[in-house]
Formats: sequence, structure tokens, C-alpha cells
Amino acid sequence: MKQRFLPWLVPLSLLCLWQVSGNLGWLSTRVLPTPSAVLRAGYQLAMSGELAHHIGISSRRAAIGFAIGGLLGLLLGILTGSSRIAERLIDSTVQMLRTVPHLALIPLVILWLGVGESAKVFLVALGVMFPIYLNTHHGVRTVDPGLIEMGRVYGLQRWGLFRKILLPGALPSILVGVRYALGVMWLTLIVSETIAATSGIGYLAMNAREFMRTDVVVLSILLYALLGKLADGIARWLERLLLPWHPAHAAALPVESI
Amino acid sequence: MTRGVAIEAIGVHRRFGAHIVLNDLHLAAEPGQFVVIVGRSGGGKSTLLRLFAGLDQADQGAIKIGGDELTGLCSSARMMFQDGRLLPWLRVGENVGIGLANPDYERIREMLNHVGLADRIDDWPAKLSGGQKQRVALARALAAHPRLLLLDEPLGSLDALTRLDMQRLIESLWLRSGTTAVLVTHDVDEAVALADRVILLNQGTADREWTVNLPRPRDPANPVFSALTQTILSHVMEETQVADQVEPSSPDHDSIRFGSGGSVTVFPGRRYR
Repeated sequence: MKQRFLPWLVPLSLLCLWQVSGNLGWLSTRVLPTPSAVLRAGYQLAMSGELAHHIGISSRRAAIGFAIGGLLGLLLGILTGSSRIAERLIDSTVQMLRTVPHLALIPLVILWLGVGESAKVFLVALGVMFPIYLNTHHGVRTVDPGLIEMGRVYGLQRWGLFRKILLPGALPSILVGVRYALGVMWLTLIVSETIAATSGIGYLAMNAREFMRTDVVVLSILLYALLGKLADGIARWLERLLLPWHPAHAAALPVESI
Repeated sequence: MTRGVAIEAIGVHRRFGAHIVLNDLHLAAEPGQFVVIVGRSGGGKSTLLRLFAGLDQADQGAIKIGGDELTGLCSSARMMFQDGRLLPWLRVGENVGIGLANPDYERIREMLNHVGLADRIDDWPAKLSGGQKQRVALARALAAHPRLLLLDEPLGSLDALTRLDMQRLIESLWLRSGTTAVLVTHDVDEAVALADRVILLNQGTADREWTVNLPRPRDPANPVFSALTQTILSHVMEETQVADQVEPSSPDHDSIRFGSGGSVTVFPGRRYR
């Protein structure tokens, strides 16, 4: 019990310290509003429906961008991982594109697509594609050739080899890519929503800045953190769901079953 | 029940770069026979097995399975590898089903029963010991009633006791299935324990062979068994020098007889020509 409480001790004390120093006037609410003020702002926004509206829009952008970029990265990675010709043809091009920081494209993307939804979705998709591509490619490439050989002797054809050996063998690596890509996804969204948006969490923060609502700004930051944490939780859950055979996850099993 | 298939290697050459691995190799096995190939490391034993599986192609010569020349993969063959090669992401039962066109639960259960692991059907391979993994691999290899069973040092990484158990198991399942079996091994005791014929591979050719007629299951304490083991072992040890001096000569051969223990036929320096 004591052990479980220990990691929470430092953050909780910091939170208390923050609240107390705000209440005592040591910390100007202009600089940093107290936790209770942030909570209150959150409650008000939630009641007016604004909060759900902005979170919904941001999440939708994140999800669509991730789906498009992730799928593209996955397909390209599988293609170049399993075919030498495709690798020769595509891989160096993708590697070249990867060296361009996708956030540097923001001015260009705004010129092309304006400040609408498609610009944000495009940037998220672009940012997400590369880590998933790289990890999928690497995962497929490093599947034990002995297992592939075994599959051939045991009569597996192309599709069977892919479904039973290549894909599951590459999955741990792909999921590492997914986790990394989720981080990129939120970062891209924060930057692009902050620079140019008329809705979403980033817009909420920028709008609050104009009205000196520090509490809403802090709330927005916390919302991003929470959503990031949530996405990471989903990625971990996916790993447990999809890799129950993996030694890294076997540790989570009850001791007597090992 | 499926029976074994006749296999034949005719004048097979295989080289990797400048290194000649198989050099005009001739070898034939009758349906249902258990052939064991012994020889030093790098003598081309595994390469020969891969040729029969269709995983590799000969530079010259032909491989025939059931009288037909093999071109692609050999669909009637199943192979067991030294490192097991179970798929870690499939449960034991699914691993056994991997070679079945329609993985059917009854057959999988039956095979796991034969190797004594029916209760592990839903376990992950990572939870099995080395010997258990090879038993699953054996069940997998035999699940689809192969007409040719290729065993590439399947017991090489097991401890001595487990190896003896596995030999018994391989023997009994082979007898039950009637398949042709080709085993590659370093272990001469293992060869004599299992083989109908032991073939010594040296410098890329089938150099000598011994026919073993001892009753099964064989007892290593039997004097014929140990005498034959000694003979084969001494040939394995010295072959590297002797190989080119032995002529593929005399059609007559020595037959050693020891009381009622069975007989061993020795073909000195016989070549398949």
C-alpha cells in the first residue's frame, strides 16, 4: 500500500504547494492560476458545451490524420520490407522526404490548403507516416528467415506466409512505431492548431490568450497532456492485446502460470 | 494411411562460390525406409536435406521424389529443424496446425497426444522446455501425413536424457506413419539407434553405408550396436584422409553376426554407381 502511494507523493505535494502559493498571493494568477481555478474554468467550459466541441474536433483531426498516415506508412513499410524491388524503388525516396521536418511545411500547407481541416489532417498524416513506415519496414525485414523457410516447407503460400509469419513477426516493431507516431500526432496537432485554426484545443488556448484567460490556457495544456496520456494508454493496451505471446508482456502474467 | 515415398539423388552437384559442398552424390531410399546421414560438419549433410525439401536447387544432377524429378518445393515433405522454429505468436495447437490445409482440431489433438503434450495445446511455445518444443515440432511435422520426413539434427541442442526419449518417440511415430525418413546427425549412437541404413557423407559424396538390421527398439548395450557404433565412428574420424584412396570395388561385403542380436551388413567403400 505504502509502495503504491509513493510515486504519487511528489506530484501531489507540488499540486498542494501550487494551490497554496496561489491562495496566499505568492504566485500571481496572471502568471499561473491555481489548480482550483483551472478546474473551475474546465467545469464552466464543459457546462457550456465548448469543451466537448473543441476536444471532439481535435480528436477527430488526430484520428483521421493518424488513420491516413498510419495506413500509408504501414502499406509502404510492408511493401518495401517484403520486396527487394519495391525497396530499391521507394525506400530512398521515403528516406529523403523523411529528412524534411514536416512542421516546416506549415506555411506551404497553409498556402495550398488554407487553414481548414484538410491542412491539419495532412500535417498529422505526414508526421505519423514516417515512424510507422520505418518501424514496419524494419519489423518485416527482421523476421527470422528460419521461420519463413519453415513456413515454405510447411506449404504456406504468399498470403499465408504474410498472415501467419511476416505480419505477426513484425507486429512488435510496428507497435513501437505506433506509440512513437502517437506522440508525433499530438505534437503536430498542437503546433498546427496553435498557428492557424478556428476550432480545436489549440484554438481554445490561443483565443483565451487574447482575453488574458490564463486558466483556460493552462486547461488547454493539461487537456493535451491528458489526451496524449490516453493515446499512450491505448497503445499499451493494444500491445497487451496483440502481443500476449511476447516475453515483455509475459511478465504481466500471474507468477504461478509461468 | 499414407505410405512413404521413394527418394533419389542422382549425380547431384552443389557448390557455394568456390566451395564444393556436394560432388556427384548418388543416394536412393526405398519407401518407408529410415536413412541416417552422418559425417563431419560442413560435409554437405544439411545441404542434401534442403535439396530433398526443395529449399535449394542442385547445380547439376537431379532429385527425384516418387520417381518424379523435383522442381519447386517438395509438397510431400515436412522438415524438422534443430532450432524447432515454432511460431512464438501461435499457441502450441495452432503451431501443430500450421501445415494442415484445414487445421482440424481432432487431428491436432491426436498428434499432441502422440507426443504426450495434449494438455499444453493452449500454451505459448515460450513456456515449453527445449525438449517439449521439439516434441511439438515433431507433431507439427507429422500432422499432415507427410510421405517424406526430413530431420535436420532435430536433437542436436537437447540434453542426453531428453535426446534418448526423443529418439524413442521419433522411432515409434515413424513406424506408425510409415513415412520415409531422412535424418542428419552428428551423433553416431543416434544414427545406429534409428537407422535402417547409415550413410557416411564425406567430401560431398555418399562414401560408405551400413545396413542395420537390429530389432527395434534397439538396445545400446547390445554388442552389435556398440561394435557398429565404433566402426562408424572410426570411419567418420578418418574419412577426411582416406576417402580418395578407397576404391569403389568389391561387391562382396562383410557380415558380422553376434549370436541372436541381429546382423549388420557393412559395404566397404561402396559408392552408388
